[in-house]
Amino acid sequence: MARRLHDPDRSLFLVWPVNVFDVSAVSYRYDSVPAVDNLSLAIQAGRRVALLGANGSGKSTLLRLLDGLYFPTSGSICFHGQPLTEQRFEDDRFAFDFRRRVALLFQDPDVQLFNPTVFDEVAFAPLQLRWSREQIAERVHTAMESMEISHLRDRPPHRLSGGEKKRVALASVLVLDPEVLLLDEPAAALDPRSQSQIIDMLIGWGDGSKTVITATHDLGLVEDIADHCCILRNGRILAEGDPSELLRDQELLARANLIHAHRHRHGSGSVHSHPHTHPHRHE
Amino acid sequence: MKKGFIERTLANLLSASEYAATAEDMAASRGLLQAIDPRIKVAGLFGLIVAVAASRRLWVIEAIFVFSVMLALSSQIKLARLLHWFWIPVLFFTGTLALPAIFLTPGRPVASLRGIYVTVQGIRTASFLISRAEAASTLSALLVLTTPWPWILKSLRTFRCPIVMVAILGMTYRYIFVILRTAFEMFESRKSRTVGTLEPRERRRLAASAAGVLLSKSLHLAGDVHLAMQSRGFRGEIYIMQDFRATFRDWWWLAAFTTLIAVSFWCGR
Amino acid sequence: MHIPDGYLSPATCGALAAVSAPFWYVSLQRMKRLLNTRMIPLLSVFAAFSFIVMMFNLPLPGGTTGHAVGVGIATIVLGPWASILAISIALVIQAVFFGDGGITAIGANCFNMAIVASLTAWAVYRVVAGRSAIGSPRRIVAAALAGYLAINVAALAAAVELGIQPTFYHDASGAPLYAPYPLHIAIPAMMIGHLTVAGLAELVLSAGVVAYLQRADPGLLAGTAPGASTIEARSTKTLWAALGVLMILTPLGILAAGSAWGEWAPEDFTSKTGRAQIAAASGNQAPPSAAPAGLRRIASFWTAPMPRYAPPMLKSPVFGYLLSAASGAGLIILVVLFGGWIFERRMAVVERRMK
Repeated sequence: MARRLHDPDRSLFLVWPVNVFDVSAVSYRYDSVPAVDNLSLAIQAGRRVALLGANGSGKSTLLRLLDGLYFPTSGSICFHGQPLTEQRFEDDRFAFDFRRRVALLFQDPDVQLFNPTVFDEVAFAPLQLRWSREQIAERVHTAMESMEISHLRDRPPHRLSGGEKKRVALASVLVLDPEVLLLDEPAAALDPRSQSQIIDMLIGWGDGSKTVITATHDLGLVEDIADHCCILRNGRILAEGDPSELLRDQELLARANLIHAHRHRHGSGSVHSHPHTHPHRHE
Repeated sequence: MKKGFIERTLANLLSASEYAATAEDMAASRGLLQAIDPRIKVAGLFGLIVAVAASRRLWVIEAIFVFSVMLALSSQIKLARLLHWFWIPVLFFTGTLALPAIFLTPGRPVASLRGIYVTVQGIRTASFLISRAEAASTLSALLVLTTPWPWILKSLRTFRCPIVMVAILGMTYRYIFVILRTAFEMFESRKSRTVGTLEPRERRRLAASAAGVLLSKSLHLAGDVHLAMQSRGFRGEIYIMQDFRATFRDWWWLAAFTTLIAVSFWCGR
Repeated sequence: MHIPDGYLSPATCGALAAVSAPFWYVSLQRMKRLLNTRMIPLLSVFAAFSFIVMMFNLPLPGGTTGHAVGVGIATIVLGPWASILAISIALVIQAVFFGDGGITAIGANCFNMAIVASLTAWAVYRVVAGRSAIGSPRRIVAAALAGYLAINVAALAAAVELGIQPTFYHDASGAPLYAPYPLHIAIPAMMIGHLTVAGLAELVLSAGVVAYLQRADPGLLAGTAPGASTIEARSTKTLWAALGVLMILTPLGILAAGSAWGEWAPEDFTSKTGRAQIAAASGNQAPPSAAPAGLRRIASFWTAPMPRYAPPMLKSPVFGYLLSAASGAGLIILVVLFGGWIFERRMAVVERRMK
C-alpha cells in the first residue's frame, strides 16, 4: 500500500515504506518514576498488535505516548516518519490531521464519555475538526448505527449500562474513521456477553486495512485481536513475536506477571502448584 | 439509635440520584410542555418567575401559581411529586421562616396573645413570602421536569450565554453522577466495615478523609478527561451542535408566554 | 444560606448579579490564561466535586451534623478564581436542576457563597499560613480559620441582603414585600446558625481535608503556597489557642468599643429611642414590645439543624454577644482583606523579581 504524505511545513513528500509508528529508545517518567523505560518498537501499517502486560507494566502510558498525549522524557516517537513533539502539536493543521487519523479508546468509559448525551458524545470529535453540519449528521448517524446505539441518542451517559457505555465510547472514536486505533483494555469490566459483542465489533472493523494496537492483560483476548504481540514488563519489552508462540511460553508469561502459580490440594493431602493460565476472558 | 453521618450522607446521595433519574424520565415523556421548543420554554418560564418576583399584588402571584399547576397537570407531572419534592420542603423552610413575621412585623394588630400582637402587615408579608417561594419553585420545577438538562443548556446559547459556560455546565452535570457513585461506594464500603460507633473525633477525621480522597480522585479524573478531550481533537475551543427548530405551534406559545408575562407585570405593578 | 426565590426583590437580585459578573469574567480570563485547554475539564469536574461535597453530612463538635459549601477547600487547592467559578457552577446546577436556591437569586447566592467566601478564604489562608511548610500544622489552622470565616462573612453578606429588603420594599400598608426581617433581626438570626453550625462544618471540612492532603497528596497544596518554607513549625497548640482567643476577644472588644454595629442589639427594642427609630423606619407603626422573644423564635428557625446546646445561648445577654460576634467577623475580614491586599502586592513584587 503506497501512502503519500504531504507535510505542509516542509513541502516534503514521504514515500512508502514507512512504519505507522517508530518508537526509538523512549523513556517516560511520572515525577521521576519511570513508566516507560528505553523502549523501542516499530509498528507497520495494517498490523494488529497486542501490548500484553500486567498492571503497571507501562502499556497504558505507551498508548498515551503513541496518541500524542504524553511526550517522551527521552527518545523519540515518529508517526509516518514525522516526530511527535509538543511543538509539532501546536500547529493546528498537524494536530487536527493526527487526531483524525489516530484514535484512542480509554479504559474507563467515564473518562471517555464527557458529554451530556450520547449524540453529543459521538459528534464531539467531528465538531472539533470543524466538519460541515451535514457531514457530521451523516457520520454520527452511521457510527451510531454500526455500534447499535441509535436508540440511545438522547440518553445521558450515566443512564447507560457498562456495555452500552463501551459501545458509545467506540462510536465516538470510530466516527472519524481513523486509520490507527489504540485500545486500552477494551473488554475490561464488561459482562461476558458485552465483551464478546465488543470484540466482534473490533474484529469486524476496518476489514484488515487498519492498524489496531490493543493494550491488555487478558491472555484470552490476544489471539482474537492481534497478529503480533509485545509482552511488557516494567516499561520495557520483554518479548515480541507471534501471539500463539508467546502464549505457549509459560515461563515468559510468569516472568511478566501475566499468570500466577495455582495451588490446589491433591487427594494425598500434599499441596501442589503449577502455572495457571486464564484461557478465558476475565470478567 | 440516631442515624450516623455516613447513613445520612448515603441517603442524601441516593435521593439526589433518584430525583435526577425521575426528572430525566419525566422530561423524556410526552406532555404539553415537553413538546415546546426548549428555548421558548426557558424564556417563558424564566419570565414568569421574574413576574412572580416583581409582583406587588398577592392575587397576581396566586394566579401564576394556579396557571403553573395547570401546566404541570397537562404535562404528566403528578401533583404528589410536586408536593413531595417542592411544595412541602418550601412550605417547611419558608413557612417556618415566615411565621414569626406575623408577630414581628410592626402594623395594625388584629389579635393578641399575652402581649404579642398578630398584625395585618405581618400576615400579608408572610403570605407574600410563602406564595412567591411556592410559585417560583413550581415554575422552575416545570422547566426541569419537562426539559432534558442538555437541552436547557443548549437553549442558553440563544440567550448569549458563553459557550464555555454551556459546555462546563453540561460536563459538570455529567461528572456529578460519576463522583456521586464514587462517593456512594466509598461510604457504603466504609459503613460495612464500621462496627459500633466511632469517637466524634474519628468521625470527623473519617468524613474529612473521604472528602480528601474524593478530591484527589476528582483532580485525577479531570486530568484524564482532559487527555480524552485532546485525543478527540479538542484544542481549547468548544463547539456544540444545536438543532432546535421552532414550529408554528412554538410561536403561538411564545406569544402566549409574552402576553401572560406582560399582563402579570402590568397587574402586579 | 441558599436564598430561595421571593426573598430578594428583583432589583437586589439584578444588582448582585451585576456585581458578580465582573468577578466571573476576571476569573474566567485568569483561568483561561493559566490553564489553557485544561480549564474546561478541570472546572467541570471540580464543580461536580463541590456539588457532591455539599451533600456530605459532617459530624461537628457538640454532637450535631451540618453541611459545608466546600468553598474553603476549593480555594485552598485551586486558588480563589477557580473556586469562584467552580462553586458558582455548582450553585447554578443546584438552583436550576435540584431547586435548591432560587433562580432569580442565583446572582445573590453566587455573590455570597462563591465570590465573597472564596476571596475571604483566600485572604485568610494566605495571611495565616504565611510561608509555613506544606506539611506544617499551621496550614491546618489557616484552613480552619479560612473556612470558618469564609462562611460567616458570606452569611453576613446574605443577612445584609435580606435585612435591607423591608426597608426598601414594602406595600402601601407597610407590609414588607420580600424578606420581612430588618437588619437587626436578620443579622443575628443568620449569624447564630452560621457561627455555630454552618461555620463549624466548613471549618471541619477545610481543616480535615488539608490535614488529609498533607499526609496523602501534599502536591495538591503546593499550588496555593508560593514560597512555602521547608522547615517544619514546632507546635500548633499555641496557634490554636491564639485562634480561640481571637474568636472570643474580637467581638467583646468591639462591644466594649461600642461600635455602630451595636445598634442592632435587641435591647434597643425595649429602649425608648430605639423604638422611636424603628417606628419611624416602619411608617410610624408602633413596633411590638417583645422583639427578643420573636428574635429567639426566628433564630431557631433560621438554619435547619440547631445544636443541642443552642437554647441557653439564645438568652438575651449571650445574644448580644453573638450579635457582636457577627460584627467582629466583619471587622476581622476587613483587616484580613487589607492585610491580604498588602501581601498580594508584595507577592507580585517577589514574582516579578523571580522572572
